[in-house]
Amino acid sequence: MAAIDWGFSINRPRTIDIDNNNLRKSDEILREMPELQCCIGCGACTASCTAGNLTEFNFRKVHTLVRRGEYQGAYEEMNKCMLCGKCRLLCPRGINTRGVVMLIKRKLGDF
Amino acid sequence: MNFFAPFCIPFMVGAAVMAVALVLKYVLWIWHLPRADRKLLVSGIFTVQSIKAVGEVISESLLHRRIFKVNPLLGYMHASLAFGWFLLITVGWIETIAYLGFRYVPLQGHVFFKYFATCIAEHKPVFDFLMDLLLLIVLSGVALAWGKRLYSKAMGMRRTTKHVLGDRVALSALWFIFPARLVAESLTCAIYGGGGFLTGSISSFLAEHVSGSLLAALYEPSWWFYSSMLGIFFVALPFSRYMHIFTEIPLIFLRRYQLRPREKESSYDNFEIQACSRCGICLDPCQLQSELGINDVQSVYFLRDRRYNRLKLAVANNCLMCGRCEAKCPVGINLNSLRQNSRDTMRNIPDESRYGYLASLDRSQGEGRVGYFAGCMTLLTPRTLSAMERIFAAAGEDVWWADRNGGVCCGRPLKLSGETDSAKKMMRYNKELFYKHNITTLVTSCPICLRVFRDEYALRGIEVLHHSEYILRLMRQGRLKVDAAGGRFTYHDPCELGRGCGIYDQPRAVIEAVGELLEPKHTREDSLCCGASLANTVINDAQQLRIARSMSAEFEQTGASTVVTSCPLCKKTVARGSSLPVKDLSEVVAEHLA
Repeated sequence: MAAIDWGFSINRPRTIDIDNNNLRKSDEILREMPELQCCIGCGACTASCTAGNLTEFNFRKVHTLVRRGEYQGAYEEMNKCMLCGKCRLLCPRGINTRGVVMLIKRKLGDF
Repeated sequence: MNFFAPFCIPFMVGAAVMAVALVLKYVLWIWHLPRADRKLLVSGIFTVQSIKAVGEVISESLLHRRIFKVNPLLGYMHASLAFGWFLLITVGWIETIAYLGFRYVPLQGHVFFKYFATCIAEHKPVFDFLMDLLLLIVLSGVALAWGKRLYSKAMGMRRTTKHVLGDRVALSALWFIFPARLVAESLTCAIYGGGGFLTGSISSFLAEHVSGSLLAALYEPSWWFYSSMLGIFFVALPFSRYMHIFTEIPLIFLRRYQLRPREKESSYDNFEIQACSRCGICLDPCQLQSELGINDVQSVYFLRDRRYNRLKLAVANNCLMCGRCEAKCPVGINLNSLRQNSRDTMRNIPDESRYGYLASLDRSQGEGRVGYFAGCMTLLTPRTLSAMERIFAAAGEDVWWADRNGGVCCGRPLKLSGETDSAKKMMRYNKELFYKHNITTLVTSCPICLRVFRDEYALRGIEVLHHSEYILRLMRQGRLKVDAAGGRFTYHDPCELGRGCGIYDQPRAVIEAVGELLEPKHTREDSLCCGASLANTVINDAQQLRIARSMSAEFEQTGASTVVTSCPLCKKTVARGSSLPVKDLSEVVAEHLA
């Protein structure tokens, strides 16, 4: 019996193994931008995002994955950002989000 | 008459090194100019612009009029050194001709004329007087320069530039040149007679109180010292801040021929960068300095680091690009453009696949010849957007809404951060969108967008207006009526709108139609930045807030009950720093629609 396509899917099970991930780049990023550790994951950045309104780009997801050492595709995702700066105005923790985008791109350009 | 003595050698070597270095630099820079710039140069030379440039060279390179406007004493200091020294050389030249007629005299013969002229019996007191007077004027400038080291506030400068070693060497040599000349000429007059009111009186004092053998022993060394100081200064000149003395002259000409820094670094930038005298006038206007105590990113340090190839990304990025320093720069260097193209060099990574998602995107709505581009920041300040809706409705304007349901950024933020090529993709997208919907007028309420629409988009057939201009036009046409309900307003000039686009009067006229306008202390060209400028990606939130608080304090001092601005980003930032309500210009108008 074929599965019924009802428009939604379930995320595939996925584990982030911080013990095995290479956190060198992540540590470098957090050293240069320590305030990123204050992120409470509220998602205001993503909700207001100009690029996120047009694509699947999700700033919160990308920088969270990068901090956990999951760099695959992060550079390409960050490249969707238009640097318009709305997220920075909304961030309740006052994180320099535009600086984070530029920093992640600079550090992960070769991933 | 012999015009050589061994002490001339340091001077001759210095002058030769300087001449070779200068010629090499200028030839190479002009050689490497982009083709379009060279065309501008060639087509400009035989126009009236060249004559105007000569006038500007006299008023700026010699008289330093723009520095007089900053502070008269500071202006006198620069003018006495530059114009005084220039006259000293010119009158010295005429003096040699007066004594010897029109004959060839080598350079050192002119410069050390007093030394070589001791064998001439006749004296021309006019020249003795003139040369002494000019020397006195230059010496007064040197004295002021010393005074400025001790107490710069007397010349209206809170802070002065921290100089590198090479500059200090050149500076010391320059300071010694004129006292050394005074001593050498006075000693010469003490032995051989002559001299004007300055050298003459010092020499008669010396002749009375110092033994003849000591005078004779000091005579040659004093000329050696003078010549050495000149030599050291000339060798250091092309490689230190004093390169500005000569570079400002070609810069003035090239600028008159419409050469400008481009969005990519080009050879023309050399003229601008090396015309910086590191006077430090850009330090005091910088709010990163005055509010945050950041001391190594200001334009003078940025240009210096770029010139010596040691520019760091953190320095290039740490600037609000508010343009306050650019407005004050006495040389008129395009500081923001240079910083932007430095960022391009350091950060631009062309990526063809980037922003592929823009293709075939069109979320605009409405029909009308007037287009309204809210811009990202206006979408984040919905009150501005709804006020604009009410204004358009009151004026009965049919509007095409470019991005009310989400649009694409204008591209300026990306450009400001140096990703020039990617920014072009957004610009191309928006431009095509505007043309597709056949608008003839484009209104935006975001000065950041306005700036890039006007400067970079080249929208032919579409008039680009800021909403302040548009509202004022509607009011003057009688299409929009407001009641003069009164109220006390103060106005904040957004950097991109004021210094960026030169729009100061329109928003003020709109406010004055509604109520009373009270100006803050820093206003118009001198207005302060709110601190949240998109150009800066380095300072953190607390630092932004500190700038916002300090600049907002000025609004409270005016006694106004509402702060008005016409930039959504400024509105958000000033509102954080101020206890007064902050409104966009459109909100004020929408509230007072008659």
